[in-house]
Amino acid sequence: MSGDAGLDAEPADAAVDDDGSPVDDAQSDAAAVALRGVVKRYPSGGGEPVVALDDVDFAVRPGEFVAVVGPSGSGKSTLLNVLGLLDDPTAGRRLLDGTDVTSLSVAERTRARKESIGFVFQDFHLLPTLTAVENVAMPTAFDPGDASDRAAALLGRFELGDRLDHEPSELSGGQKQRVAIARALINEPAVLLADEPTGNLDTETGEAILREFERVKAEGVAVVAVTHDPLVEEYADRVVDLTDGVLTGGLPADGGPAPGTAPERDDDRRIDRGDR
Amino acid sequence: MSESDRATTGAAGWLRGWGPAVSLASRNLRRNRVRTVLAVLGVCIGVLAVAALGIFGNVLALGADDAIGDIGTQVVISPNADAGVESLSNADVASIRRAVGEPAVVPLYSDSATVARQGDQTFATVYGVEEPALAYEAAEGRLPERHRQGAILGAGIAEDLDAGAGDTVEIAGSQVRVIAVLVESQTFSPVAPDDAVFLPESAFSADGYAQALVVSDSGAEARVAADAIREEVNAREERVDLFELAALVDEINEFFNLLSTFLLGLGAISLVVAGVSILNVMLMSTVERRQEIGVMRAVGVARRDVLRVLLAEAGLIGAAGAAAGTLLTVLLVAGLVVATPAVDAALVLDRTNAYYLLLALVFGVGVGIVSGAYPAWKAANERPVEALRS
Repeated sequence: MSGDAGLDAEPADAAVDDDGSPVDDAQSDAAAVALRGVVKRYPSGGGEPVVALDDVDFAVRPGEFVAVVGPSGSGKSTLLNVLGLLDDPTAGRRLLDGTDVTSLSVAERTRARKESIGFVFQDFHLLPTLTAVENVAMPTAFDPGDASDRAAALLGRFELGDRLDHEPSELSGGQKQRVAIARALINEPAVLLADEPTGNLDTETGEAILREFERVKAEGVAVVAVTHDPLVEEYADRVVDLTDGVLTGGLPADGGPAPGTAPERDDDRRIDRGDR
Repeated sequence: MSESDRATTGAAGWLRGWGPAVSLASRNLRRNRVRTVLAVLGVCIGVLAVAALGIFGNVLALGADDAIGDIGTQVVISPNADAGVESLSNADVASIRRAVGEPAVVPLYSDSATVARQGDQTFATVYGVEEPALAYEAAEGRLPERHRQGAILGAGIAEDLDAGAGDTVEIAGSQVRVIAVLVESQTFSPVAPDDAVFLPESAFSADGYAQALVVSDSGAEARVAADAIREEVNAREERVDLFELAALVDEINEFFNLLSTFLLGLGAISLVVAGVSILNVMLMSTVERRQEIGVMRAVGVARRDVLRVLLAEAGLIGAAGAAAGTLLTVLLVAGLVVATPAVDAALVLDRTNAYYLLLALVFGVGVGIVSGAYPAWKAANERPVEALRS
């Protein structure tokens, strides 16, 4: 994102807290990604609009691993889409690396995603026609220069150095998810957003993936994982709960409730995970 | 990167993006080989239809042009008997020459006589001509620049009398040596050389020419010459009648052009059908790959680049089909020439046929890109958040 004329770094602007939210500006600026008073409403056929995010304040520091939990339909995916610049908030502000990215053009959003955000999906979402190394380099495929070496080095770090030319169909679930993480890291993002990253993996593989997340965050990348998996919560530095669009514990320790005070995890979530 | 930087690198970046796009596109096409091959086959047939029908029409037109030969290039001028003009005077011929300029003017005396040789005899038109080489070609012997002695026989009469160059024939009672036999004429005109005998002007004692030929290089030149004669020689009174076939030849050419266009139109219909099949294939494949396209967009691939990949897919189908169709057309036409002796190889090898091949090739690729444009645009513009939701 550095050197991007389209997006201003804006400490001066941040001082003006027009929506009166209790967010500490210094804290938001230090965050890799932050939402301030974000509201997301979806129109619903004729009736009242559905409120997916209701005045959400959220911040993740560089090198912090945050797990977002909550029942299905509580707005977790919407939160991730808004954080990942795939969807725009109806109201409120969005900051990425201290830069206001609330309303960008489609092209600017695409570029910001490429440069600053990595995505990891439950279904891995690798392109079946590309080899592992090509999948990792895919976000940069249309850019000048060849990212294959960088991609190969990343795969080496994830112990896939001997699988560079394998197609996704020749890889196991854990290997696919590691390829996906490598793809997310190809442009050295500020934030890694993961949607149920362990949802399609057995416990052992899931744990291996979470250890990879620990290594990623150790490099200063902010990791946000939306999950139903208690295992993810174990690895997370902070667990925030999203229920009916209301986020609890969205701000780092000094701002909100401690991770331990997050609502009790029920056993039914484990059963839920066992089904997959 | 500032706006101006982006503008200067825009053109280079635009070109660079096609490399990975074509690479991704060709892999996507290989995923569903049967579907790809069928779409390619559709374009191939369309291109074959356009190219083959185009070439057939063109060969017909060229053949007709060849058969019509030079009737379109001659203008025959006769005295206008209705206006009391019985023959063309030297002054008339001079004013005709002035009017037409470049094309040769060949005045002719005319009579008829019995022509005989070794018991065979026939009644023939006898023309007196000074410069036969301007209007005719010899199949046998040589046409003199100035015709001073001897007879030149038309192809038909030479055959009837079984006479060749060097033989002697009897014309109106006198023995005359044959110096040349003319090439068989393909024209039909008031001056039909096949059944005529050409003698030197000195053999005639008439006080005026019966006809004059204007021999030009092309139909267009003949038309200009005829118009000039009408304007200048016939300015004050209708002294001469003109017989020209250029207008008729134009009509015939027009008909063949129409026929060519009609055949091309038939071919184009099949190409349109091929385009619809590409549209269908691309729509199906973008719907199937909706999530993949969403992922590409999510991880930062620009809309423009997604569009490029999909356009490249459609373009590759079009190009492959067009190349195959063109090759098939060449083989088909070559086979036709070999199998049908009636088709003149020279007509088929005419350069204008290459134009139809090229046209079909360009059409094939064009149909691919045009049919791919809508599905590509639709897929590239879908919001990734919608595409990822499944």
